Amino acid sequence: MTRRLRFRIDEFKTDIGILKGVELQVGKIVEEWEEPEGPTPMPSITDLRKWDYKLLQRYKPMYMPFCDLCCLCTFGKCDLSRDKRGACGIDMSGQQSRIVLLACCIGVSTHLAHARDLVEWLIERYGRNAPIDLGRQVFLEAPHIRLVTGIKPRTIGDLEEALDYVETEVTRLLACTHTGQEGSNLDFESKVFHAGMLDHVAMEIADVAQTAVLGFPKADPDAPLVDIGLGTIDINKPVIMVIGHMVEPSVGIIDYLKNSGLEDSVEVCGLCCSAHELTRYSPERGKIVGPISWQLRFVRTGVPDVIVLDEQCIRTDLPLEAQKINAVVIATSAKNMQGFPDMTHEDPDKIVELLVAKKIPGVFIHESETEKIGEVAVKAAIKIAPLRARYKALPSEEEIIKMAGKCVQCGNCVRACPHNLPIKDAILEAKNGNLKKLAELYDFCIACIRCEKTCPANIPILTLIMKASEKIFKAEKFKVRAGRGPIQDTEIRTVGQPIVLGEIPGVIAFVGCANYANGGKEVMEMCEEFLKRNYIVTVSGCAAMTIGMYKNEEGKTLYELYSGTFDAGGLVNVGSCVANAHISGAAIKIASIFAKRNLRANYAEIADYVHNRVGACGIAWGAMSQKAASIASGFWRLGIPVIVGPHGSKYRRMLLGRKERKEDWYVYDAFTGEKVYVGPVPEHLFYAAETKEEAMVMAAKLCMRASDTTKGRSIKLTNYIDLHKKFFGELPNDLHLFIRREADIPITMKDEILEFLKEKGWEERREVPNPTLLEELVRKK
Amino acid sequence: MSRELTGQIAEIPGPIKAVVIKEPRTVAAMIKKAKRPLIIIGDLITKYDVEGFDSLNIVTEIAKAVDAHINVTGPLIRKFRKMGYDKVYLMSTPEIVDRLRDESWKGHDGKGKYDLVIFMGFRYYYAWLMLNGLKHYAFKWLKTLSLDSYYQPNATFTLPTMDINKWREFIKEILNIIRG
Repeated sequence: MTRRLRFRIDEFKTDIGILKGVELQVGKIVEEWEEPEGPTPMPSITDLRKWDYKLLQRYKPMYMPFCDLCCLCTFGKCDLSRDKRGACGIDMSGQQSRIVLLACCIGVSTHLAHARDLVEWLIERYGRNAPIDLGRQVFLEAPHIRLVTGIKPRTIGDLEEALDYVETEVTRLLACTHTGQEGSNLDFESKVFHAGMLDHVAMEIADVAQTAVLGFPKADPDAPLVDIGLGTIDINKPVIMVIGHMVEPSVGIIDYLKNSGLEDSVEVCGLCCSAHELTRYSPERGKIVGPISWQLRFVRTGVPDVIVLDEQCIRTDLPLEAQKINAVVIATSAKNMQGFPDMTHEDPDKIVELLVAKKIPGVFIHESETEKIGEVAVKAAIKIAPLRARYKALPSEEEIIKMAGKCVQCGNCVRACPHNLPIKDAILEAKNGNLKKLAELYDFCIACIRCEKTCPANIPILTLIMKASEKIFKAEKFKVRAGRGPIQDTEIRTVGQPIVLGEIPGVIAFVGCANYANGGKEVMEMCEEFLKRNYIVTVSGCAAMTIGMYKNEEGKTLYELYSGTFDAGGLVNVGSCVANAHISGAAIKIASIFAKRNLRANYAEIADYVHNRVGACGIAWGAMSQKAASIASGFWRLGIPVIVGPHGSKYRRMLLGRKERKEDWYVYDAFTGEKVYVGPVPEHLFYAAETKEEAMVMAAKLCMRASDTTKGRSIKLTNYIDLHKKFFGELPNDLHLFIRREADIPITMKDEILEFLKEKGWEERREVPNPTLLEELVRKK
Repeated sequence: MSRELTGQIAEIPGPIKAVVIKEPRTVAAMIKKAKRPLIIIGDLITKYDVEGFDSLNIVTEIAKAVDAHINVTGPLIRKFRKMGYDKVYLMSTPEIVDRLRDESWKGHDGKGKYDLVIFMGFRYYYAWLMLNGLKHYAFKWLKTLSLDSYYQPNATFTLPTMDINKWREFIKEILNIIRG
């Protein structure tokens, strides 16, 4: 850790005069810690390129251009089809990887700016020396920061140095996308990995900072169960809805309610990650409406009186939608000001008066002024709620049947829908008075309203769907475990060995947004399948919410059925998007705590360890955003595979291994230096699955690692084979590539598998207890 | 001049667009002419099924008639195995497309690369992207044909977007012609 030495003298009287406002800063004092510094403190773009190339040699990019042109400069548009190059010389592969890098730079910048704003606000509120205390069971408080920067942060002020580093690197990465810079697609891909690594540092900074000082659950497996669902909102009270990713507005609102004794008078609910932060800050008062795709659904019900916007993933037309229901809008982030007047320094009562009287369309109050945001939101909600009672209802059935009657059957709605849902058929049925088909769309619609925007008859299609589904959404009353934050060191000690040896079949992380191709239920079903199979399941963001929105026959959600402990069969909700760093952080912690590898500034060795030994796989079934891209790329650099839903193909490239190319699947035996074939483990690094069945089979397969013991490999194979048989009805055709010795074969399937192996001409091969891709890690004799 | 409608409004194709084939006999001739055809079947193909139209049966019959391989990408493999055709292979879409981009790949049976790849039963955007990957990276040795019921601009050849009932008749007619 480094510390800046700073003296400040406000006033100092001496015999010769008075000194006022003197500030003296003496560089930095480096405070040492027990671990020796590794080879790559604060790595630059080039420092980990060698490691990236090792991964990219195995997992070659398969580009699926989303656009055949480049239109980034005035040379263009340039046609990059087939073997052509643009006016600047770039080819199709270069351009695709360049766009991926751009997306990842957007993603990491978003988390980074979020982290910077949050840390500044927390420093102002709690002081630079507020300790980073993440609970009694967390000693390795910031695995990413330690691993990447070599800093061991002790206070939230210490996080600024890590922020400075990430900001510098992101700027450099973004510069690489300028015309006439990088031309190699593989170097672009290496930079994508760099962006991903930085992203996890940025996310960790944000979540460590807020968890340390805001009273969030601290690595608590028993974090409280909180309400989720439209049906949990008490519509008889004034309703404040927060949306986005920041905690500051929620802090202001909850604190104001508490301080003014109005806690029971106003309903506070949230969507997307702001809802996670709201319920982590106040599990008793805060409620979650649902994931990001519920935002317009909720607004269309007319229920929210005040809508508080912060940043990221918020519909930019939400102020227009709010106008339709006469709701008040408060924007709180400089990144999303919506053209509203800046009244950060205005008197709260005056702002409320202007908002309620509709003299201004909305207001901007900077997020750092949390008290004012809280006061304005609460007062405005209380004042406006009785004035807008008539807006708090959907149109009647007769009205929506009449609206459906305007349909001209052009079918544009179906072609506009990202998932080509059968909207036209549903509208035509509604025209005849049957709303059943409209209601059937509810589970599948992501409420993007592209259908409405293209409808020549201006039918408010989402409103029709909501009315038809009124009974369904009013019954949405579920429980989700509040985000617990990091994984305990003690939990890592318990599961480190069984994970590395393969006896826990894997860690599956369900992360990301809610752009599901076939409805959110698939995420819950996949999650349940892996829980039943004793995988450790970690969840975050909107995926974590979706998983809680389905009940079993006894009326229980998965959160009520499974423990929140990071252990086999545990369902671990770490929290919001930025809490994703705790999932990748857990893999790093295994290398540090269980395997006792030096962590500090030692990225390549730790990533090599994780890649070869920690059987983990991410599933981002509804991944939508640029942030999701950068989060995924942070997992890739650690060698952890990620599966996305079919629309994830729109990220325009996958990173695929070729299992039949034996030469790609050699490692060093770190004991002997011998190069040994280990089979395609894990087979892919980034993969867009078509169906949930395919995703589940693939995830089980991608949890196999080179270091698996025979017992561990046997357990992993049992799951892979069982899932393959369950969904595809037969043994996997590549099974022989994953069986090293007869002892690997699951005992209950031995005869069948031996026969299969005989047909394949399989021969036993040795295991490698200490696999590595890095020659420098081979022990010198 | 007619304008082909893409399956999704905002999916504007690039400079190289598919040739639209409007006659079953043209499609049939193309399939018959191929030396090593491969039919890739996505899991949505059964959405076309109604009484009198069994997509799996039709695909299998077409494959049998021209000795094509069938690559099934998902759980439908269970049903295909029951169709009694032994040249059916299970491989996911990303994995098969990745191999098709590789000129040295010798096909499922190791006997040589495919020259015509037919796509059916996919989400529009998913096939759009996979076909675009092949359009740019396998164009020297491979032609692609989309037989879904909508215009797929990134294939080499595509059907136009058409009414589903007309499409079923179109596909049945292809089979009739191929069988002779």
